[in-house]
Amino acid sequence: FILKAEAAIMVRAAEPWPEKATLYQPLKEDQILLSDSASSLAVQTFLRMCGLPVQVSCCANAEYMSPSGKVPFIHVGNQVVSELGPIVQFIKAKGHSLSDGLDDVQRAEMKAYMELVNNMLLTAELYIQWCDDYTATEISRPRYSSPYSWPLNHILAYQKQWEVRRKMNAIGWSGKNLEQVYEDVSQCCQALSQRLGTQPYFFNKQPTELDALVFGHLFTILTTQLTNDELAEKVKSYTNLLSFCHRIEQTYFKEHDRESQSGSSRHSKGSLP
Amino acid sequence: MAEPMELLCWGGDWDLPSVHTDSLIVLAYAKFSGAKLAVKSIDWTWRTITASVPQLHYEASTVTEPTQILNFLRKQRFNADYELTAKQGADTMAYIALLEEKLRPALLHTFWVDADNYANLTRPWFTSHSPFPLNFFVPGRQASLALSRILLTKAESPLLNITEVEGKIYSEAKECLNLLSHRLGNFHFFFGDTPTSLDAFVFGHIAPLIKAPLPSGQLQKHLNQLDNLCQFCNTILKNYFNASAEKRTDCSPTAIHDPVDANLQKLTQLVNKESNLIEKMDDNLRSSPQHRPHRH
Repeated sequence: FILKAEAAIMVRAAEPWPEKATLYQPLKEDQILLSDSASSLAVQTFLRMCGLPVQVSCCANAEYMSPSGKVPFIHVGNQVVSELGPIVQFIKAKGHSLSDGLDDVQRAEMKAYMELVNNMLLTAELYIQWCDDYTATEISRPRYSSPYSWPLNHILAYQKQWEVRRKMNAIGWSGKNLEQVYEDVSQCCQALSQRLGTQPYFFNKQPTELDALVFGHLFTILTTQLTNDELAEKVKSYTNLLSFCHRIEQTYFKEHDRESQSGSSRHSKGSLP
Repeated sequence: MAEPMELLCWGGDWDLPSVHTDSLIVLAYAKFSGAKLAVKSIDWTWRTITASVPQLHYEASTVTEPTQILNFLRKQRFNADYELTAKQGADTMAYIALLEEKLRPALLHTFWVDADNYANLTRPWFTSHSPFPLNFFVPGRQASLALSRILLTKAESPLLNITEVEGKIYSEAKECLNLLSHRLGNFHFFFGDTPTSLDAFVFGHIAPLIKAPLPSGQLQKHLNQLDNLCQFCNTILKNYFNASAEKRTDCSPTAIHDPVDANLQKLTQLVNKESNLIEKMDDNLRSSPQHRPHRH
């Protein structure tokens, strides 16, 4: 059974990258939230780094279409894959990989740093969006439920909030206050900044999925307006991270339309300061 | 002379000073940094259900959670990370995140969710170390906390069932162990010759897995093949805890160099293959039309 399934999928994965690959995410202008926008940008950056073209399609129900319930997900041929980790694996099966040149110790470091970003930055983003009452009421709940009419919008927003709060509880973040979360973000950025040093990318000359992930999160934090600017300020205090974001934006996104770039982040304050 | 700092933690067994991962992390760090702690075990007290362990008491303040306790100790100038460079400090944070995300769920599963282990080892141990009538509640409560943590963080729909998540978390844990083994290489500790907080964290996670007499332990078997990690654990026990750590018979120092690499290569390939298979099985499951996921 296992061999047959494996063989079947190997055959499918061996197909070349089609012209009409699509990436799905929630609506850019009104609906998408900080954490989803960051994840989506990370995947888009990774695909650009691999040189694989993809169309971005915004749907209100992207979260429900996704096989794992998380956005973004890509639809390639007749396969649907969601989240950066599985997408990297999937693209590796198609023969494209950014981390082949790394030795085992470097690969261990790369995975460790990706977990650091997921563990701290992503969790902090979720916390700020859903566990901070002010942000949840002013921004997250209205945006999340904007495509729906009453009473569905209330139900869905509160359900999502409840889910996220449960998860925060399980990993021990519900006891933290906002100051501690900002402090955690600062420490995470400090670790990233120290690891990056003066190199152009985290593993010297070549970008890897870690660069895509870090860029996705930091760029979104810097260009998204929340109830206050503290989060962005924490990131801005690390100049090498700022220039890292500039560099990737210039290298991989400058050929994109001016119009679609300034619309690529909601509440955008324009491009990077 | 200031009164000593007091640490509350779970008691020890199986040659370990404590059977609880977080308590072990703090105990190991205290030894590495030279902090003198008055260790009080909460076994057989009501604190088994009221306290969140480990807990450090000093003067009037109380600190919980290993990371907070380590920060507190550093502020009291018990710093085992003094000689690390900035980059090594950043690496420490990254590897700790790796441990929490990849290894912790499988550890929780091995001890608290796996039916064999829970019924034959974990529950009897915790029941016998809790006072009456708490012994009826304590293990069950820990087990349900462990299960909900695994499901909430690792189970994405449609994998809402614990059995489907198992394959994924064990393969991630094995990969994590391989990565740690690669990183440790032939050195005694992760950053040279003196132990640091990363060593404390790794020790806290893998020591119970090595030492506990688990009836069904696929993760334990995998770990036992990584000689350098076993040696690492035994070295710490011998040098810092004065325990007559029983040497594992096949863990002789001379045999470290070549078998480490050969074993590691084999295991890395095995884990990669396993995780590929699991990805493909998941893919297959998700893309087949009759398994369209339902949102709850």
